[in-house]
Amino acid sequence: MLSRRLLRDAAFIVVPVIAVMAILPSVYSNHLLLFNFVVFLTLAQGVNILYGFTGYLPFGYVGFFGAGAYGFSIAVLHLKAPPLAALIAAGAAAGALGLLLAPLLRLSGAYFSIANLAASLAVLQIISNPNLEDITRGPYGISLSGVFNPTLAYAMALAILAATLLFVAYLRSSNFGLALQAIRENLFSASMAGIDVVRARMIAWLACALVAGFTGGVFAWYVSVFFPETVFGAEFSIFAIVFALFGGTSTLLGPIVGVVILYGVYNLIGVSAPQYFQLIYGFLIMALVLFLPNGLTSLLQRRGIDVP
Amino acid sequence: MLIYTLFAGILFGLYFSLVGLGLNLVFGVMRIVNLAHGDFLMLGAYLAFWLYTLSEVNPVAVIPLAFVLFVLIGLPLYYILVPRLLAAKDPEMLSIILFFGLSQVIEAVAGIVFGRSERSIPGGELGRALAGFVNLFPGANMESGPVEILGQTFPAAWVVAGIASLLAVLCVYLYLYRTRLGALTRAVMADREEALSTGIDTHRVSAIAFAIGIALAAIGGVFAPFMLGSITPAMGVEATVTSFAVIVIGSLGNPLGTVLGGIIYGVSYMLMQSYLSSWANLLPYLLLIAILLVRPSGLLGRQVRLA
Amino acid sequence: MSPEKAPLLTVNNLVKRFGGFRALDGLTLSIAPGEVLGLVGPNGSGKTTCINVISGLYPADGGEVLFEGKDISGTKSHHLVHLGINRTFQVPKPFLALTTRENIEVAIAYGNHPQGLTDAQPLLDSLNLTKIADRRAAELNSAQQKMLDLARALATGPRLLLVDELAAGLNPGELEWVGGKLKELARTNMAIIVVEHLMGFIEQVTDRVIVLNAGKEIFEGKLTEAVRVPQVIEVFLGGAHAA
Repeated sequence: MLSRRLLRDAAFIVVPVIAVMAILPSVYSNHLLLFNFVVFLTLAQGVNILYGFTGYLPFGYVGFFGAGAYGFSIAVLHLKAPPLAALIAAGAAAGALGLLLAPLLRLSGAYFSIANLAASLAVLQIISNPNLEDITRGPYGISLSGVFNPTLAYAMALAILAATLLFVAYLRSSNFGLALQAIRENLFSASMAGIDVVRARMIAWLACALVAGFTGGVFAWYVSVFFPETVFGAEFSIFAIVFALFGGTSTLLGPIVGVVILYGVYNLIGVSAPQYFQLIYGFLIMALVLFLPNGLTSLLQRRGIDVP
Repeated sequence: MLIYTLFAGILFGLYFSLVGLGLNLVFGVMRIVNLAHGDFLMLGAYLAFWLYTLSEVNPVAVIPLAFVLFVLIGLPLYYILVPRLLAAKDPEMLSIILFFGLSQVIEAVAGIVFGRSERSIPGGELGRALAGFVNLFPGANMESGPVEILGQTFPAAWVVAGIASLLAVLCVYLYLYRTRLGALTRAVMADREEALSTGIDTHRVSAIAFAIGIALAAIGGVFAPFMLGSITPAMGVEATVTSFAVIVIGSLGNPLGTVLGGIIYGVSYMLMQSYLSSWANLLPYLLLIAILLVRPSGLLGRQVRLA
Repeated sequence: MSPEKAPLLTVNNLVKRFGGFRALDGLTLSIAPGEVLGLVGPNGSGKTTCINVISGLYPADGGEVLFEGKDISGTKSHHLVHLGINRTFQVPKPFLALTTRENIEVAIAYGNHPQGLTDAQPLLDSLNLTKIADRRAAELNSAQQKMLDLARALATGPRLLLVDELAAGLNPGELEWVGGKLKELARTNMAIIVVEHLMGFIEQVTDRVIVLNAGKEIFEGKLTEAVRVPQVIEVFLGGAHAA
């Protein structure tokens, strides 16, 4: 019964999304834009894993993304690792940061979000510190021209997206996903249902960190030249959160719809009216919270439709 | 050197209390996070800058104007945004996103109207105001220039900002503890539901607190050109994070705890600047995280941690 | 308590402080399988605190809690559930975004039911929740939420069930029906501790009561005898005045 739901989600959402994103580069020439779509599709699902299923809003989500980008770069520059091995280092860096920040999960609500934001800014300050130039190149940025291979990097980004989508589909159809939602709804009742609250929360947190870490690694590989502010830019956190919320969290489809619509609009405004871009975007975010706090999919759910 | 650092830290600390005070008042009363707090500070800074540039108005004279102006902005803004927000399922969380949107709008408008280049006001202006004020007293004869305290000289701007901040905190204290509306405000802070059920018009009380919170940010902004460096439309984010660090150290939701937070923050900031300057920028973030984990209720506050 | 049966749970000299206030001040009690024990006393006498400590919600500040002879103080709540202890909440806190059935299913999945329960349907049937099985818990009324909270506890197959003020908010018919359910469960050898204000309900379901005042036991025995003890009368009249 439950696994049928997983198969349905995989067949009707995961496979088509991956197929479309795999075909598009051969018919559309702005490959960087397509790559950024893949990045945000993945990050929005990463936010969905944490916020949609546990209720923690990772306002400093970009910290894991940046950690992944630097994990990848340091592996390439200092260990002369091949890109695929360096991607493992990207995941490891984000995972280690996740473990280090795990105590933040003891905080609730806005306190968690603010501490998470502060943590991501602290990591940026450390990485861009001129004293660490020998390791991180400090504020002067990274250049990885030796491993430049956008085609393979794009393929790996798609693989990470596919794995992330499947993980969210698994959460939606498994007892583990139910357990996370139970914790979100009430900690005490959840532990009285036999759930190891600390462990379950930790798994979701690390999964969310790894998604961003691998994506950050593949981003570093794809763009190959970047500054600390590029990969720790608050807009990664904000966009991922806003896209996921706009579509509707705890669903698989919501964040995808959110990215397609909002990131699409973002690029349209960026091309046609860049000077008003931040303004329109700010208004859009405010309207979202005031008029559609549970996302687009809630419009369907209110009519009793089960949104995948 | 140490005495200088400590005293400068206290002056900055008083100023940081003012910077965080409004954010804490809003959080305490409404349990929402005004992520656009720093952007109101930025607007206050531009108000001071333009009045000085266009007609040489002394920044100290801008304070009452900034207060009135931003209270008048804050009241309607409250009624547009907050009641709807408070009716949602998870207002605390959604407020972060809503006010992030607002902060983007304010920053964008400021960028279009004021331009993106850095602006500043000569530091001597506050010294002139201080000397002018002191010389109102018979027999006093003060030059406008650096101020000497305990054998150390400090820029007059720091001293004026410190004193003005202290006065602002005092006014908030008097409002909360010596007026009827302040008593109602404290009732809403203690328990919103309970206050509502005893017939308190919570929206009216909250709207005023919200407007005062924004006005305090704007007043903090008037001193920003002297305390935080040159002003730009994008300066709001950093000011917001600093405010957070200050109020979390003091105690979230307890406006007067802000002063303690501000002074601890100011003194540690100056110590870092003097002895470990290349890592000084890390301080607010690490302090914020450390305090949240070790004593999440702040040094003076209530319990916020789950399991 | 019947002397021939070994106690399932023994609480010795339990102390719990909140700041300077002693919510439990040296409480001792025990309960055997199949027994229904009532905890009664005025507000603030320590009844709910006792349940909260036994179920691992707060750590005790002194004394010991033995389950089947083993000290379980400091054990995490979910481990206690797996050992065979569960509880209901005074204000039920079901998982509001999940359906009634999912609420029970998640407890079945994580509760390690000793008889290997895999299906929510028998529980839904036995607690009259079948008709609302696919509604979200947020849509249930408070009586239904209480039944769902009880179903969540039973889904983990407890041998010791702690019931915290189940009766409040139920009508007399529902109350009698639930009382019957609890007695039925006791006949399956489940030990049940009931915290309750309604004396009629205590009378109906319990074999024995302990009267608490200020975190201490002041009486143990049959409810019918308790009402003849002057100290108990005073505590209750005092409580009535305070209320």
